[in-house]
Amino acid sequence: MTEVADDVRQEMRAYIEENFLYLHPGIELRDADQFLTLGIVDSLGFVELVEEVQSRYGVTVEDVDITEENFGSIDAITGYVERKRSSG
Amino acid sequence: MEDLRAAAARDPERDAIVARERRVTYGELDRLAGGLAEGLRAADVQRGDRVAVVLPNGVEAAVAIYGILRAGAAFSPLNPTIKHEKLAHVLADSGAAAVICDVERAGVVQDAAADAGGVRVIADIEGHIREGADPPTPPVSVDLAAVIYTSGSTGDPKGVTLTHGNMTFAADSIVEYLQMEESDRVLCVLPLSFDYGLYQLLMTVRVGGTLVLEHGFAFPGRVVQLLESEGITGLPGVPTVFHVLLSLRGLENRALPELRYLSNTGQALPAPTIGAIRRTFPNARLYSMYGLTECKRAAYLPPDQLDARPTSVGLPIPGTEAWVEDENGNVLGPGEVGELMIRGAHVMQGYWNDPEATAERLRPGRWPWERVLATGDLFRTDDDGYLYFVGRRDDLIKSGGEKVVPREIEDVLHAAPGVREAAVVGISDRLLGQAVHAHVSAKPGSTLDVAAVRIYCAERLEDYKVPRQVTVHDELPRTSNGKIDRSALSGRSE
Repeated sequence: MTEVADDVRQEMRAYIEENFLYLHPGIELRDADQFLTLGIVDSLGFVELVEEVQSRYGVTVEDVDITEENFGSIDAITGYVERKRSSG
Repeated sequence: MEDLRAAAARDPERDAIVARERRVTYGELDRLAGGLAEGLRAADVQRGDRVAVVLPNGVEAAVAIYGILRAGAAFSPLNPTIKHEKLAHVLADSGAAAVICDVERAGVVQDAAADAGGVRVIADIEGHIREGADPPTPPVSVDLAAVIYTSGSTGDPKGVTLTHGNMTFAADSIVEYLQMEESDRVLCVLPLSFDYGLYQLLMTVRVGGTLVLEHGFAFPGRVVQLLESEGITGLPGVPTVFHVLLSLRGLENRALPELRYLSNTGQALPAPTIGAIRRTFPNARLYSMYGLTECKRAAYLPPDQLDARPTSVGLPIPGTEAWVEDENGNVLGPGEVGELMIRGAHVMQGYWNDPEATAERLRPGRWPWERVLATGDLFRTDDDGYLYFVGRRDDLIKSGGEKVVPREIEDVLHAAPGVREAAVVGISDRLLGQAVHAHVSAKPGSTLDVAAVRIYCAERLEDYKVPRQVTVHDELPRTSNGKIDRSALSGRSE
């Protein structure tokens, strides 16, 4: 894992905790946990999440990119941002 | 409902449901539903019993619904995020003989079932699939098919009581104007607990088409992929779905040659959104529709009228009548605003166990045996008889296509620690149409934490009812006669 990826991971965790996780005090979120399965992010939450990723990391998110594989967990977002950045 | 059996007999190899990694053919769905019916009878579910379903969209939910019907029982589809108290109320109110859920929800469901007097919980559908014969006496059209719970403007949710006749009539009428057929492949991202989602299943099976069933609309990229890979022909949505789709980059460049219709209900689409939908999906017809669970669907706008009357919800659905009347029951002419009234075989039988609420909605009709539906919504017509939604008589909020009753959320807020007063209003929201905004004031000596208030609500309400914003006031504004001033709050929260 790169240092950049580490930063993304920490920033995204902080963002998720601040905006979504606080509504579910009982849940311990691990990086691989699926937001949807745990019920912590709903469909509108994902729209906000995608907007956050676009503005924070300056990446262009295409329509078909908004999937569970790319946005479903902290691991997924970290990997997605890293792939998008390395592909320029 | 013999539709599933008929479709399985015609083409057992055709895909009935595609849900994530799982595909089931009509032959298999028919076998599973029959097997569950036998399992339900073995679990002592009798003809006419009510059985609740607490499942996310998927093959199991379809098996549950058709299995319950095959057993001669009636189903109550419930939101999979339903919380303890409401579930216990619904189970007790409907006198449910059983509740079907999955392992993830078994804990919540078991607690509620115990509170409702020990309702039987079936948490593993697979384990209840038996080989067996058909029920000795299948239901007829006047038999109970479903009790669908919906929030009323006051008090607890009410069970909309529907017969097999009600549901097949409504399904046929909608199939007719959408021109659905066996070759249709419908993508359903709406929960089956919402009647709009439920009817996608019922209508698709009725015509023997294929239903592509998604858990929800969380990942629009997945929806775009499915539109292409599954050759989707029909996409039912609510304004939120269309607003999110239109915000996606690259969608307008996709051809989507198979997509032949889109439909919208729940809330009206703003005119600019209608224009954007037509530019993005130039080959698809767009149906603007209006309805309520009490009659399933009331009106639809023929797509060829969209240019001439973009804000109309159109005409009564085939085989039904609708008109606008004043408070004294006089039919009103074009341009005059009054309550929309509905007659037809789609009108519900009443609210389960609630004759008072039923009498408010169902009024004496043209014939001694007939009752017509008073929608509670204000409408007008144009010179050609096309219907226009004007507003609601009550303060209902429509958020993401779902009906939200301020009173229900206010009741929860009033019970929250430290809350003195609460008022819930809808504020306009780019994606949701309206978003739930709670205004609260604290009890003397208490301070309110916005996060804590939202958490309190999230533990007690379905996700879509949890206020997206909470504003703490020293004192809620009042009108001159001392009532909480909701219009001031709606204005202030913009």
